[in-house]
Amino acid sequence: MSTTSPSRWTAIGKEAGRAALALVIALIVALVVILLTSTEPAKAFATLMTGPLSSNRTIGLWIDDVAKLTLTGLAFSLVFQARQFSMGVQGQVYMGGLFAALVAMSPLGGTAFAIPLAMIAAMIAGAAYGIIPGYAKAKFGASEIVSSLMLNYIAILIVNFLVRAYLAPAGSGQLATQKFPDAAIFPSIIPGTRFDLGIVIALVTVVIVWFLLYRTAWGLKLRLVGHNPKFAEYSGIRANAIMVSAMTASGAIGGLLGAVFVEGRAFGNLSVDFDGNLAFEGILIAIVARSRPLAVPIVALFYGYLRQGAQLMGLRTDVPSEMIGVVQAIIILLVASSFSLPGKKALGRLFGRERSPAAAMPGEAK
Amino acid sequence: MIELLLTVFSATFFVTVIRTTTPLLFATLGGLISDLSGALNVALEGIMLIAALTAVIVSAYAPWYVAVLAAMAAGALLGSLMAFFHLRLKADIILVGFAVNILASGGTVFALSMATGGDKGTSINLVSKAVPGVDLSFLKAIPAIGPTLSQLLSGHSILSWLGALTVFLIWYFLYRTPYGLWLCGVGEYPAAPEAAGIAVGKVRAWSLIASGALVGIGGAQLAMFNYIGFTRDMTAGRGFIALGAVLLGARHPVGAMLAALLFGVFEALSIVMPNLFNWIPSEMIQTIPFVVTILALVLFSYRAQRARQLKTLSKP
Repeated sequence: MSTTSPSRWTAIGKEAGRAALALVIALIVALVVILLTSTEPAKAFATLMTGPLSSNRTIGLWIDDVAKLTLTGLAFSLVFQARQFSMGVQGQVYMGGLFAALVAMSPLGGTAFAIPLAMIAAMIAGAAYGIIPGYAKAKFGASEIVSSLMLNYIAILIVNFLVRAYLAPAGSGQLATQKFPDAAIFPSIIPGTRFDLGIVIALVTVVIVWFLLYRTAWGLKLRLVGHNPKFAEYSGIRANAIMVSAMTASGAIGGLLGAVFVEGRAFGNLSVDFDGNLAFEGILIAIVARSRPLAVPIVALFYGYLRQGAQLMGLRTDVPSEMIGVVQAIIILLVASSFSLPGKKALGRLFGRERSPAAAMPGEAK
Repeated sequence: MIELLLTVFSATFFVTVIRTTTPLLFATLGGLISDLSGALNVALEGIMLIAALTAVIVSAYAPWYVAVLAAMAAGALLGSLMAFFHLRLKADIILVGFAVNILASGGTVFALSMATGGDKGTSINLVSKAVPGVDLSFLKAIPAIGPTLSQLLSGHSILSWLGALTVFLIWYFLYRTPYGLWLCGVGEYPAAPEAAGIAVGKVRAWSLIASGALVGIGGAQLAMFNYIGFTRDMTAGRGFIALGAVLLGARHPVGAMLAALLFGVFEALSIVMPNLFNWIPSEMIQTIPFVVTILALVLFSYRAQRARQLKTLSKP
């Protein structure tokens, strides 16, 4: 933040240019894949690129995804800024969704308090779930990557079990709860679409996270721990406490996303496997946004468009929507690396002499 | 409870354990190799998934050993992709690993649907082959212990035996050859081997490639012996459990084998338990391997931390 304004803008421009270049390359690869596999490649690619704009309904779907992707991107950004590779957002989403659903299905669900209470319950549940890997790392030195991933699987299984065995209407064999009362479902901003309170919550959270990271002492300490934990430790910052608090705050955002999921107009109930793997895609958002909270919604806007386009392509043409996984991987690989294309530099790297390999320190978070 | 004990101490349970352990063992050894070279391979899960699909598709058209080799090649290719992005293009190895995982979870479904003509769930339309078991029923001829021995040792996948051999080979490679020393040196303190004229990047790249190939065998075992055929997300966290097993195994091949065996036992338990206790919901039984992984990881990390603290205390 010490850089002067103009240079900061050039840096932002450079980053945006790299991200855009990565996107273009990934889309070219997608086009090649579609050409190779589809019997109607033109229609498939056109749907991928323009599908989300085809109706008010699809625009609503897109914005709904953007809200959710923004929240998961923020949750990942927060831990990445502290250089913790905690992958537990998915588990936190499930825990948050579960507790939001419990509030919504309780007698409170019919009252005006339903939405705020459910959100608070979800955030507490998510935060509690986020503490576990943080505490295990701070206290015992257990790798947060492994423990958070295991917790994801556990949370999904627990929620699926509770829904199947207790929360779904008895004897119906359904794998979802009944619709929540209207008071517990987000009001829509544009009637008839999924354009609901979720996007507002997401944008407010962006501002809060930005403020916490860049305008408070806690945020400064957190970023310092992320940049150089030893230095932070020497300057009297309790790195472990900051680390655990970062994971807790990230967990609260994950839990909030759970509430947005189940209370949003898209669902309005709790069902098994409800996140459709969206929670995990926050990792891509955070990487492309370089963990900057203010960049997260912009990246989410583009990526959500692509994601929705892929879904529609899967529905309307013969190319499965899972093809988008290829695009995701290419974008992450290109943005995370120091590629520059096209030019002598890249060719030089490809075929040139060995660069000092010791500089490639292991990216381990141990 | 008695029934559970009877099951656990039966020969069939032992055979199940070996079966569930084998994919984990290869994944753990793969993770170990790259971890020792200083590159934490979080893509074990994704590589295993892609290798499993490769094995299934290839085995539909070629003999089983070609399929296993193809799975290895797919793993090695992904390993070299990771090495390229990590070492040449300076990307963070963890992010590269997750890119591979994302590629795998979407890409395998896409490729499966292409290979089967639209089926996104399983490869049931594809007639894939199995890795043959090793028949040691001649052991029955041994007096007294013969029948038990044959029950315990007969019928395992060839790849299980290969796994046991691989543990020994990796141990030999790491501790009895100069290359193993290079590998550990590169992971411990890259500046020293570099000063000694060893190409640090090359060592790390080869270790990632070897890691991918080993995980690839695990994927082949999973889709050609444990299950015949591919199902969506069939690795179900095994790669991540293996990542825990690397740490749990004290970064030693024999330790890795024991850790893989531990998780194999619990996975086998989660297979036999539904038949014994049908009142326990299946989801809760499925959480067992994951819960055990966390508990084992915390316990081991705690002990390792204690050991480190004691060591520093005893130094003057």
